[in-house]
Amino acid sequence: MTIFAGLLLLFLIACAISLFFIEKLINVVIVFMSYSAVMAVLWLLLESPDLAITEAAVGCGITTLLFILTLKKVNALKEEREEEDEQEA
Amino acid sequence: MNRKHETDQEIERGKIGAFVDWVNADSPDIPAEIEYEHEEHHGEHHEEHHEEKTPQAQIRQERKVVSWMYRGGSLVCGLLLVAILLFTVQALPRFGEREVPAFNEVSQRYLEEGLTETGAVNVVAGIILDYRAFDTLGESMVLFTGSIAVIFLLTQLSKKAEGEEDGSKKCVESLPAQVIIRMVFPIVLLYGIYVVFNGHISPGGGFSGGTILGAGLILCHLAFGEAYTSRFVTVKRCTGVMSVALLTYIAMKTYSILTGANHIESGIPLGTPGSIFSSGLIFPLNICVGLVVACTIFAVYSLFTNWKAREK
Amino acid sequence: MEMIKFILGSVFILLGLFVFGVATFGIFRFKYVLNRVHVAAKCDSLASILVCIGLMFFSDSLAGILKLILISVFIWITNPVASHLVCKIEMETNENIREECEIKEEML
Repeated sequence: MTIFAGLLLLFLIACAISLFFIEKLINVVIVFMSYSAVMAVLWLLLESPDLAITEAAVGCGITTLLFILTLKKVNALKEEREEEDEQEA
Repeated sequence: MNRKHETDQEIERGKIGAFVDWVNADSPDIPAEIEYEHEEHHGEHHEEHHEEKTPQAQIRQERKVVSWMYRGGSLVCGLLLVAILLFTVQALPRFGEREVPAFNEVSQRYLEEGLTETGAVNVVAGIILDYRAFDTLGESMVLFTGSIAVIFLLTQLSKKAEGEEDGSKKCVESLPAQVIIRMVFPIVLLYGIYVVFNGHISPGGGFSGGTILGAGLILCHLAFGEAYTSRFVTVKRCTGVMSVALLTYIAMKTYSILTGANHIESGIPLGTPGSIFSSGLIFPLNICVGLVVACTIFAVYSLFTNWKAREK
Repeated sequence: MEMIKFILGSVFILLGLFVFGVATFGIFRFKYVLNRVHVAAKCDSLASILVCIGLMFFSDSLAGILKLILISVFIWITNPVASHLVCKIEMETNENIREECEIKEEML
């Protein structure tokens, strides 16, 4: 079980470091979501199911939704898409 | 596009490189005709724009350099932080050992006397809603303050933008989604209510159950739009429910602190541990916290969707 | 009996993990959104249900088995709908969709 926990912790570190190299904000949000999902499994391994449930519901669900909504409202997604098109053209 | 030009080099990279390319769908195995069509198409455009936009290309190059510097700097900072934290972690006592400062008479008392004093089978609920109920009150107040700030900011803006077009009626116009969400929505709400009500018996409680309730309401809002959800839940009702729940929480906790501090019989039966109506005040306190969390989440979500950015 | 249970359960879980792996692989392999959604939807629902069936062999009580059945039914109902929504939004927002795949007119 410690090997499994170690692998998950390594995944968390990889997530955190990969955030430096991601340009698109929507991808950052998705990486953050996977971080929360793994964190929920880790809480379960540390025998705190209360925290695991909350982390899964808040971290994976609500936070991601609110982040994406905010990005949409400040038109960050649209500009990214346009930049992409420009680069391709 | 420029991947294609590198195919000769990439073949030289050996089997692992070829496998990586195959995973990225870059190998010549995939139908090449479509690729070439795209390439020609885009190639023309590229040449056309290339001569006109040389200053822009330069700006883009500079931006690239700056962004790489930024990334390098942030990587160095992040690794430094990781190193400092790892160095500090070494000085900490090991997880779960007897010499840990947290392992003292307080936690021992919580574990030994928690069931008889609070009546909650779930010790976590007993701790956060009985021994440390002030903490939980602070957390709910933080949520309440946050939602009040969002309401204060966004209703001002959406009032100004009102009247131009009705964007609030937007919803997913898809029949399968609406049918399935109509089926699933009551089940999600039921599960949330179960988690809230069983907070003192099984893992869960106000915060997690409230989040599930809020997510269910958001699902309903997504599927059927504002016009449907406003029949039973609006931002105004959310703020009302939040205030009432917080005031009830404060009243109950004031009563229990008054009676506890003056050694008066509180008169609230603890009940048999394990049944729903047990553990005194923890059951209603859980409901209050759950209502606050659910209403906060739904209010913030619906304000965010209704708010329109002002035109530039 | 215990041995048979263990073998059957682990076979189902390993099958599920294999399908999950195929799904992850396919998401990276395919280029267009609709192909990726196709892979993710089919493989994910199949794999989660295989894992649930595998876990049923390991659970001791009837309540646990019923919970797992509920979970698999829930996944079976909701996963296709979620993928359907992603596909629908892709169809509506992507302007170059006709170059990526064939579309019949009645689907629009």
